[in-house]
Amino acid sequence: MSRLTDPRGHWDRLTRAERGVAGFVVALLALLFYGFVTGGFGPAYVLYLVGLVGMYVLLSFGLNVQWGYTGLINFSVAAFFGLGAYGTALLTADSSPIAGGFNPLVGLVVGLALAAVVAYVVGVPTLRLRADYLAIASLGLAEVIRALVLNERRWTNGSAGLRGIPGFFEGWPLLDRFPELMPGLRVVVVPGSPIVLQEPFWQAVLNVTLVFVFVAASYLVLRRVHRSPWGRVLRTIRADEDLAEALGKDTYAFKMQAFVLGSVIMALAGVFYAHLNLFVSPGDFEPINTFYVWIAVILGGSGSNRGAMFGGFVIIAIREGTRFLGALLPDALRFTLPGALSVLPDGLLAALAGALSLVESTYATVVGNFASTRLLAVGLLIILVMRYRPEGVLPPQRELIWTGVADDTTRADPDSGVREARGGGSDE
Amino acid sequence: MSDQQVQAGAVRDKEDVVLEVEGLRKTFGGLVATDDASFAVERGTITGLIGPNGAGKSTLFNLVTGFYEPEAGSVRVNGRDVTGMAPHDVADHGLIRTFQTPRKLEGMTVREAMLVGPQDQPGESFLTLFTDPESVAERERANLDAVNRILEEFEIDHLARQPATDLSGGQMKLVELARAMLADPEILLLDEPVAGVNPTLANTLADHIERLNDEGTTFLVIEHDMGFIMNLADPIVVLDQGSVLVEGDPEAVRNDDRVVDAYLGGGNA
Repeated sequence: MSRLTDPRGHWDRLTRAERGVAGFVVALLALLFYGFVTGGFGPAYVLYLVGLVGMYVLLSFGLNVQWGYTGLINFSVAAFFGLGAYGTALLTADSSPIAGGFNPLVGLVVGLALAAVVAYVVGVPTLRLRADYLAIASLGLAEVIRALVLNERRWTNGSAGLRGIPGFFEGWPLLDRFPELMPGLRVVVVPGSPIVLQEPFWQAVLNVTLVFVFVAASYLVLRRVHRSPWGRVLRTIRADEDLAEALGKDTYAFKMQAFVLGSVIMALAGVFYAHLNLFVSPGDFEPINTFYVWIAVILGGSGSNRGAMFGGFVIIAIREGTRFLGALLPDALRFTLPGALSVLPDGLLAALAGALSLVESTYATVVGNFASTRLLAVGLLIILVMRYRPEGVLPPQRELIWTGVADDTTRADPDSGVREARGGGSDE
Repeated sequence: MSDQQVQAGAVRDKEDVVLEVEGLRKTFGGLVATDDASFAVERGTITGLIGPNGAGKSTLFNLVTGFYEPEAGSVRVNGRDVTGMAPHDVADHGLIRTFQTPRKLEGMTVREAMLVGPQDQPGESFLTLFTDPESVAERERANLDAVNRILEEFEIDHLARQPATDLSGGQMKLVELARAMLADPEILLLDEPVAGVNPTLANTLADHIERLNDEGTTFLVIEHDMGFIMNLADPIVVLDQGSVLVEGDPEAVRNDDRVVDAYLGGGNA
């Protein structure tokens, strides 16, 4: 617990990247807190954002097991997320065409089991082949599952989605009525804009607690299995599968375990989402979510759990931040040519005016649709990362040796973890 | 020049056979890479496998270790049939191989890469990590000790915490050999152990192989470097056009007309 007893020394021991990350996270949290105190963001919304971060952290954890640990290219993150969400929704929602009304705990188990079974079935034919085949199959799988959910109305309600999903704690003693029981609070920090904490806020507190438990549990499991002989075999497979085989490791079995484990963690994110949003629809299977998660893992540092956490955080910052950035900028730019320029020939003047109006209209388009430019931001980000820091912001830092066995497992070169072994770098 | 020490085809009536290869055949399209290859490796020997380029040495290695599936023939380790098994199952039977080009382990330190060698680690089972962490820790500690000991024996203990990708070609060969030893092999198959290695390090490698052989490990070695293999191995099996041409001791093989012809592309072409 050096960070409590000796915060100064702890800070000094951090790498430059770690300090940057810490600064970035603190700055964003401060911004969020500022918005919260001044009443700019509703308290329930702030907590909703925290919940989304947790959800993306889970998704990144899942993909990190598959890609970061093992080198498996899975392009159906959204599908496993959706399977988790639909798995629990179909069993708990009022509007479920199959069997609604079960306790969300049952939904949780079924959602995870569904993802595990699908992952296994997809893995059987593809994991015996080279990595590229899994990539292709998973790309198809995501669309197949989306099309199935969209069209098999008698089972899934089709495009109407599933409404009336209960909160996760419905039917639990005490927690069930926690939001109603908590008193409404009114806190005035800045005069004139009081913060009102009512039922939605307490509901959001519950949700954040839930996702925190999910993330903490996954993290503890992953930390144990990664820094172990098991995690070491996965890293060997990622680097050179033939070598792992030659050393007597059943690579197919290891890849299957990693694939199923990762998919189950993705489904866990889906279960949380269903009980957060209380509504699921085929839109939740959109492939864009898969790529957000890929970016989170690559940005954070493939193979590093901390990196996956950071990546999830950044993705939400971009996704939600762009909503507000657009509102902050002026709607339009207006250029007027200074009168002094009228000495120029008419033709040149017209060309100049034409160029300026092009700039004006482009600006208006960009600001008017600022939310869509988040894709641009994400694209730029990924290019910058691949160019300047291909190993990610927080690459893996420890040797994969069982905790407590070696005196010191910190890598001598913490800034050069698992690089992209296969020349091309990003697989986007 | 004792002609009786070279025999056409392989010597099959050996006493204590570890590896027995019988009639292996493999074709790639129209090309017959291995054709009715048979030989036996006696326990405690360093058996050399040589032959001109394209004789099928590497194909034969891949067939024996399970990386290729043979179209005909059989492979036995200690009398047990391992034909057609997956490479990791073959390795389970005690047949461990190294690769011609050293395999780099991205993102691992040397001692991490070494720790992949030991077989049947309890910590490689996902469930055991949770149900029996004590036995995982215990074995891990023993394995780490073994890694440190063998790195010292190979005089590369100073590299233990270097990234496995930052080594010279020769050091990588040493690490590969050391790691293969951790798998406790019945027989170790080395694919060109001194290819691309400087002469000094090649001598070091030869010393280590001889030392390990004295300590009881059986070797089968493919090598292009004639000086190296002739000093190291006995007997030598010569492969030509996918099957065994002759087998004998190094001196006799070196002077055998059939071998000279095979290398110079003479008579039987």
